[in-house]
Parts: sequence; structure tokens; C-alpha cells
Amino acid sequence: MYLVAHIDVDICAATSCRLCTQFCPEANTILYNTEAGKDRGLKYGSAYVAVDRCKGCAQCVWVCDNMAKHNAIKMEMIDQIGDQALTENLTYSEKNCTAVLASPVRG
Amino acid sequence: MSLDYVKFTPGFGKFMPKEYRDMVDHGPFGKKTTVSQVGSFKEIMEEHPMCAGCAMTLFIRLAVIAFPNPEDTITVGTAGCGRLAISQAAIQFVYGNYGDQNGVASGLTRGLRLRFGDKPKDVVVMAGDGGMADIGFAQTLHSWFRKEKFTTIMLDNEVYGNTGGQESGMTNQGQVLKMAPLGKKFEKMDMLGMAKVAGCAYVATVVPNNPRRVESVIKKAVLIAREIGPTYIQAYTSCNIEYAIPTEKVLEDCNVVEKDRYKFEEYMTDEAKECLSQLYGYKEYLPKPAKAVEQK
Ligand SMILES: Cc1ncc(C[n+]2csc(CCOP(=O)(O)OP(=O)(O)O)c2C)c(N)n1
Ligand code: SF4
Ligand code: SF4
Ligand code: SF4
Repeated sequence: MYLVAHIDVDICAATSCRLCTQFCPEANTILYNTEAGKDRGLKYGSAYVAVDRCKGCAQCVWVCDNMAKHNAIKMEMIDQIGDQALTENLTYSEKNCTAVLASPVRG
Repeated sequence: MSLDYVKFTPGFGKFMPKEYRDMVDHGPFGKKTTVSQVGSFKEIMEEHPMCAGCAMTLFIRLAVIAFPNPEDTITVGTAGCGRLAISQAAIQFVYGNYGDQNGVASGLTRGLRLRFGDKPKDVVVMAGDGGMADIGFAQTLHSWFRKEKFTTIMLDNEVYGNTGGQESGMTNQGQVLKMAPLGKKFEKMDMLGMAKVAGCAYVATVVPNNPRRVESVIKKAVLIAREIGPTYIQAYTSCNIEYAIPTEKVLEDCNVVEKDRYKFEEYMTDEAKECLSQLYGYKEYLPKPAKAVEQK
């Protein structure tokens, strides 16, 4: 197993800043859904990670903790994350990118 | 014309990989996308084998986003880590033999100008410090002295990263590396000074701890090279493997190095300033109105 970044939507969507997206070394990896959390009254939408592209460097954790000071990202074992975004489940639209989240199929 | 090469033949789109379809439909081609919009459009960089957390990867990602006209840009690279990622973007990529990149780019730029006339194609060289300041030193300098109209970007990780840690001319004096066990004997080469002496119209340093600044210097360098002459960007892009920087500390290292030997520096000729203000709407470079002479 290996670690990937996981973003807490409830923290990110309450204080969103889009910083981590700009600092991830990998392209198309930290994406941004402007609708996330709105059903729970959170205003800003949230960043999320396409886990199949994440290389586990934890730079985004440093950015969220030290620059944004929001502590919304943790490194987690890939098989422990229930709701994952994968590149194949992304839908781009005008100024947004949503994902159908799912547990990975194992076996 | 250039946009057409990425588009599908009608009816074939559904057979293409999803990433490709997303790139055509939601990529930056023909639009003005900026670093602050990342995460909501499909970037044209794809997956590549560079190390996790490498600052060079981050810089290349930001540089590709910043190209003013990606559909009309051609990148030139050479042996070294960077080409592993640069070649995985949906931008035409030319591989020059190690050290030959600025010679290849000179010929390419001239050929493209003959072929396309006043429709600009932007040529951008991105290569390591070893390829540029050591092995390709003569070709780098000559392309500048000859006023070739393209952008040269040094990916300065202060080491030969791809071959396991030999010192380069850009390594700091005294630095011990795996393949330089006694420490480097001479000081870091002043390539910025040489770029100015050789007549580059724009010279800048940058560190990828500031994505908007990376975007700004890349845009200016490419536009000035298009109109005026050679431009040079020297980017600090640490090698976390050879310098044993834990990946989560890479940006902290960027901050330390920026304060030490990579302070932001930007130089441009008056002609370059005029080009940016007159042709590309950069108001900050408009000539300052002359002060009224005081009447006595
Ligand atoms: C003509 C030639 N000589 C030597 C090499 C071997 N070689 C491949 S990459 C490399 C060093 C790359 O160092 P640098 O240019 O600093 O780039 P980095 O990998 O550090 O980004 C060398 C010497 C080669 N490929 N071709
Ligand atoms: S840095 Fe943190 S708070 Fe800001 S967008 Fe990223 S996860 Fe959200
Ligand atoms: S761990 Fe690294 S690769 Fe993964 S999302 Fe964070 S910054 Fe990107
Ligand atoms: S060897 Fe160094 S410069 Fe090359 S990809 Fe790895 S960390 Fe980056």
C-alpha cells in the first residue's frame, strides 16, 4: 500500500483558497469542484485529489498547513479512502471539474 | 491552423483516450488560461516519470501553463531530467543531442520564421544546468550573441541529477555530492551576467515557490523573444534526490534558497519594455510622463 493526499471537504469548502492546486508538482492532480459542500451550506467549493495521479510527495500538505494554514490535507493509505476521484471519472465543464467519487474496485 | 492538429477527425473522437478528449474540449488551446485557474481546466502536461515532489516538475508544469500561445509553441530539450516531463505535454517537442539544444533551437526558429513569416511560433528551450552551462555552453552563448529569437530556460538544480550527482558549473563552491566527494572547487557560474553581456533582451531568475511570478516571467520572456531577441530565465529547481531534501520540505528549501542566492531579479532592455507596452498592453512599461519643469 502507499500514501496519497486526501482533502477534507468540510474544511476546504469553508475556507477555500486554491493554493495547493498551484503547488502540486503533478498536472491534473489536485482539481477543483466549485459545487462541493454546497449541499451542506459551505460556500466555496473544494479541492480534491485524483488519486491515480498523486505521487504521494506531501507538498500539498505543507502548503495547506503552512501557507493556507487550513490543515485540510492528510496523507492516507490509498485503500483506506472510501470516496476517491479517479481521472476516468472526471467531468470538466466551464471553469469547473467534478468527479464521481467511488471506492476503488479491488482484486 | 495550429489548433487543428490536436482536433479529431469527425467521428473519431469517441475512440480517443479520455485524457485526449478532455484536452481538446477543456484544455487551454486558443484560450487565455492562467495559473490561478488551475484545477478547473485540463492541463496539457500529462503523466511522466520524474521523481515525486521534484521542484523541477512543478516549475515545468507552471511554465507550460504560462506559455502565451501553447498551440503555437515548440519546446526544445535535451538529456537530463526535465525532458522526461517536457516531452509529455501536448506541445511539439524537439530533442536536441546533449548540449546541442540552443543550436537546434536556432535553426528551428529561423526555419519556422521562413515558413510561417509573420505568424509567430514560439520556441522555448528548457534544459538542465549541466546541459546548458557546461556541455552546451558554447551553443548557449552563441545563440545569444547571434540574437536568435527564442527563450532559453535553465532548469538549475545545481547538479547533474539524471546521471546520479556529478557537479556542474552551476553547483555552489564547496558543495559535496555523491560524485563530487571532495567538494566543488570553483564558484557557481554567473550565467545571468553572461546573458546580459551576450545581449539577451530579457533576463530573470525565478523559484517555483511563487507560481504567479513564474507565470509572469515566462510570458514576458516568450513575448520578448518573439519580437526582439534572445531571452533567458534561470529557474531554481532543486533535485530532492541528490540534495536529500524530504519531498514535503521542497518548498521550504525553495524559500531558503530564494533568500540566499536566488533573489528575484529581472532585467530587460528599453526595446523590450517598449515591445511589452506597445504590442502586449503592459501598462507598467509605458514611458513615464516627463515631469513638468518648475517655473521660477
Ligand atoms: C552527448 C551526451 N553526453 C552525456 C550524456 C549523459 N547524460 C544524460 S543526462 C546527463 C546529465 C544531466 O544533467 P543536467 O543537464 O544538469 O540536467 P538534470 O538531469 O540535472 O536536470 C548526462 C551527462 C548524454 N545523454 N549525451
Ligand atoms: S490549500 Fe487547503 S484549504 Fe486551500 S484549496 Fe487546498 S485543501 Fe483547500
Ligand atoms: S501528495 Fe504531492 S502529488 Fe499528491 S496531490 Fe499532494 S502535492 Fe500532488
Ligand atoms: S533526480 Fe532530481 S531533478 Fe531528477 S527528477 Fe528526481 S528529484 Fe527531480
